[in-house]
Amino acid sequence: MTVRELDTYDATDLRKGARRRTNSRNRWIHTVVGTVIVAFLLFPLYWMINASFQQSGALLSPHPSFLPSPVTLDGYKATLTTQGGNLRSSIIISLGTVLITLVLSTPAAYALAKLKVPRSTTLMFVVITVQMVPGIVMANALYVVFARLGLIDSYVGLMFADATTAVPFAILIMRAFMQDIPSELIEAAKIDGAGEIGVFRHIVIPVSRNVIITAGLFAFLHGWSDFLFAVTLTTGSVFTPVTVGIYRFMGAQTADWNGVMATATIASIPAVFLLILAQKYISAGITGGAVKE
Amino acid sequence: MNINTPRLRTNSSSKKWRTNLQLGAGLVAVSFLAASCSGGPTGSSGSTESGAGAAKPASSITSIDYFTDATSSAAFQKVLSTCATKTGIKINRQSLPLKELLPKVLQGASSGTMPNLAFVDNVNVQQLAQTGALTPISNYGFDLSGFAPGIVAATTLNGKNYGVSPAINTLALFYNKDMFAAAGLKPPTTWDELKTDAAALKTPNRYGLALSAPASEEGTWQFLPFFWSNGGDLTNLTSPKSVEALSFITSLVKDGSMSQSVVNWAQADVADQFIAGNTAMMINGPWNISKIDKSGKVKYGIVPIPAPKAGATLTVPLGGEVGVIPVSGGSTQAAAAKVLKCMTDNDQMLQWAMGNTRIAPRDTTAKQEIVKLPVLAPFAETVRTSRARTTGLGLKYPVISQALWTAIQSALTGTETPEAALKTAQTTVDSSAK
Amino acid sequence: MIMRDKTVQARAGRPTPPRTRWRRRRYLVALGFILPAALYIVVFFGYPLVYNLAMSFQDYTPRSFYTGEAPFVGLDNYRKILSSPIFQPAVLHTIVFTVGSIVFQFGIGLALAVYFNRRFPLSNLLRAMLLLPWLLPLIVSSAIWRWMFDKDFGVINYFIRLLPGVDTGAPWLTNGKWALAAVVIANIWIGIPFNMVILYGGLQGIAETIYEAAKLDGASAWQCFRYMTWPLLKPVTLVVLMLGLVYTIKVFDVIMGLTGGGPANQTQTLTTWSYQYSFSLFQFGPGAAVSSLLALVAAIIALFYLRSLRRSSDGS
Repeated sequence: MTVRELDTYDATDLRKGARRRTNSRNRWIHTVVGTVIVAFLLFPLYWMINASFQQSGALLSPHPSFLPSPVTLDGYKATLTTQGGNLRSSIIISLGTVLITLVLSTPAAYALAKLKVPRSTTLMFVVITVQMVPGIVMANALYVVFARLGLIDSYVGLMFADATTAVPFAILIMRAFMQDIPSELIEAAKIDGAGEIGVFRHIVIPVSRNVIITAGLFAFLHGWSDFLFAVTLTTGSVFTPVTVGIYRFMGAQTADWNGVMATATIASIPAVFLLILAQKYISAGITGGAVKE
Repeated sequence: MNINTPRLRTNSSSKKWRTNLQLGAGLVAVSFLAASCSGGPTGSSGSTESGAGAAKPASSITSIDYFTDATSSAAFQKVLSTCATKTGIKINRQSLPLKELLPKVLQGASSGTMPNLAFVDNVNVQQLAQTGALTPISNYGFDLSGFAPGIVAATTLNGKNYGVSPAINTLALFYNKDMFAAAGLKPPTTWDELKTDAAALKTPNRYGLALSAPASEEGTWQFLPFFWSNGGDLTNLTSPKSVEALSFITSLVKDGSMSQSVVNWAQADVADQFIAGNTAMMINGPWNISKIDKSGKVKYGIVPIPAPKAGATLTVPLGGEVGVIPVSGGSTQAAAAKVLKCMTDNDQMLQWAMGNTRIAPRDTTAKQEIVKLPVLAPFAETVRTSRARTTGLGLKYPVISQALWTAIQSALTGTETPEAALKTAQTTVDSSAK
Repeated sequence: MIMRDKTVQARAGRPTPPRTRWRRRRYLVALGFILPAALYIVVFFGYPLVYNLAMSFQDYTPRSFYTGEAPFVGLDNYRKILSSPIFQPAVLHTIVFTVGSIVFQFGIGLALAVYFNRRFPLSNLLRAMLLLPWLLPLIVSSAIWRWMFDKDFGVINYFIRLLPGVDTGAPWLTNGKWALAAVVIANIWIGIPFNMVILYGGLQGIAETIYEAAKLDGASAWQCFRYMTWPLLKPVTLVVLMLGLVYTIKVFDVIMGLTGGGPANQTQTLTTWSYQYSFSLFQFGPGAAVSSLLALVAAIIALFYLRSLRRSSDGS
């Protein structure tokens, strides 16, 4: 196979990554069962949405109302009028975190998986153990460095900081998947004259699309839900991620929970869209399989 | 097809050891390099007692506070803006959640980027002063006459005063007027009355009393009115008076008038419970007043917390924020002092205390406040004689507080008897003593 | 490298310069692939790691932040934490919390991944929705669970009381053992998406054809899973479990949000204890000592994982 042919390598021959077919009658049963499972598991989320429409503390009651009544839209009003900019900031930061994470981790993961990197076990060991540094210690240390470098209140700075939670994970997981890339694919490409970088671009990345998207997903979630770095590395004068913005509803001794829950609900929406989008790509994957014929 | 040349297996383990060591050393070297380029004291003006008053005030300062929620933040911003205009000094404000404030101040300390003006919880002032990062306010000529003695004591370390408070607060007993009227009761004034009232008001759908007893400073803070009023002493947690106080609270849980869930309720949760009608009385602070008013659900009254016996003195804990001026150089320090003076003059203090429903620390200002907001009267009366938690304890307070809140939780959940719980607490404190 | 080549030359008896050049280029390329990430890790993690480790050997107080002075105290901090009466309970709670969380997170995550591996209407949407628990800020999730678990007014006890013959709800957050169970349950809920997504990705990599062959031979669903899916998932399983362990030991916000380590230290884990030392007691030395111990545990887990990797790669 030439490199070009490999580019358009189609999975349907091997039927790897295709999902188990179920006959039509069973399919709808599965949908129902699946919905019940999801409803059960997501009950706390429903509780959050319930809370967002009621007065603070209304759910802490001997007879909680399962359907909000009376309905209060105060939380949503406050959120929509004040958190819009914060949501935008959070999205920017999350996407930036994804970019940085993937750019740094994908080549490293491939190198650790397939290329003969010296002392790779040591590097793996480091990658795993550095994740144990407590968040607050990271924040303290990073603040000092960022303050010196004038990176406080910088989008890019925060993206790099948030990536610290995602990069080790991305390296580990992509490496685990990339190890299963059949050597034959790589050898074949090399025979056709592709260099390491060519192999990486034309074989490894398309073939690892699943796991790259998974890693990107996690990087997005880390950037999105990060609070510690957000509160440490920003002063609120330039931008405020939504995790910090939520404190508009929480004081030292008071809390306006319906505002908090409304913010959380609204903040979930853009993230859910991206999740659904990413899920589509993960499910329509090509090889990454562990089967050797 | 394997097109690679066969790899020679060298004696890998010892080589690995060596290379790991090299790698480790390299890492350490780089890190120490980075570390040495940061951290440590920056050449601040060195002396904390320089003629700071003589320096010309800078034109802008940075300020940090923990008033994050919309109402408090707006009220605080109003005061800041007024003072910015009055003094002609631009104020760059940052507000973060209370739990993150101290870490942020410490980060600032280690990187030489402390704010010029910081509003911290009074419990932390002595701790910060001890670091050497704060300047004594005597440098700036503040007049603290008429300030509640408790707040002055809280900000004093080794005879020097390190902060000025724009507002203080304390705890009182909120009660549901309708529930009391329906039961034909009057608000309690002694512990016995509190116990009987709470028991009488308990129904299957609600409790008689709620307070906050979580695993945090709030737990200690809410218990102190009972502890101190009974003669308890934070340096002797096992004294009979201390045990009596804890036993009293525990008995309220035992006879069912108070929910055991209080060990999980922050003061905000207790307020929510009160507003929802799940409890007839609550121990809480004045910050709830606007929230309860807005909900329109509860007709409430506020009275001082019941004393152990009729005629006994009530001692309540002092709460509130303190403005401190970290070391930052003569001109910024002078500017910060100017702003702080403006914020604590009669008008601004009144404005802030009322806007945030707290109490003005200066007695003359407080008197004006009570005329305008009579609902705050019970707080204002008791806070004048309130006691600061760090008085006489200084840096030992955090350990004692943690031991005490653990004991409270232990007793309330029935894990230990009040006596045993306090014994454990005292042991913890003693073994922590360096 | 060069040494090896020379020896190869000596063996082969003829010079191989093009191969050497080629090898060196491959080496440099590999280095190029890995250098950005390696640099990033050294810069961003190196300093905090060393800083934290150093702090564990010092008497580090708030004063140290300002003056930079922190007298070296050797192993005193470690002695202090090891002899504290909270040490053993904290270790026990950490173990129970970690094992309990991982077993169920992994198990449920795997079950969900297998179930949603089928194609049926809405499966994509449902699978995406299962990621939502991971999406919420922890301050929100812990508040929700705290309300739900409230002994008197929580909705979980509300449902429990609806059961026939049950009078009162469970003392979820007020009794030590139940409180630990509660934080574990909340943590499981938060951790399921992580496991599910990765395991699902792993399942995606298994060829459909092998199942068809097995079905023709009359294999049941369970047999398919046990003898084909499970072994093929092994590398993914290993990485998920290893990461799960490392992340669960670090869990902090959930426990703090639900119980604050209480009641009376009965849900105190090593991570929450470390934080309390540093930010409630302002004793950063012992706090750093506890977190350094945790790092040591993670290092041991990492060693096991790496050894298992080597074993499996040798096997195949």
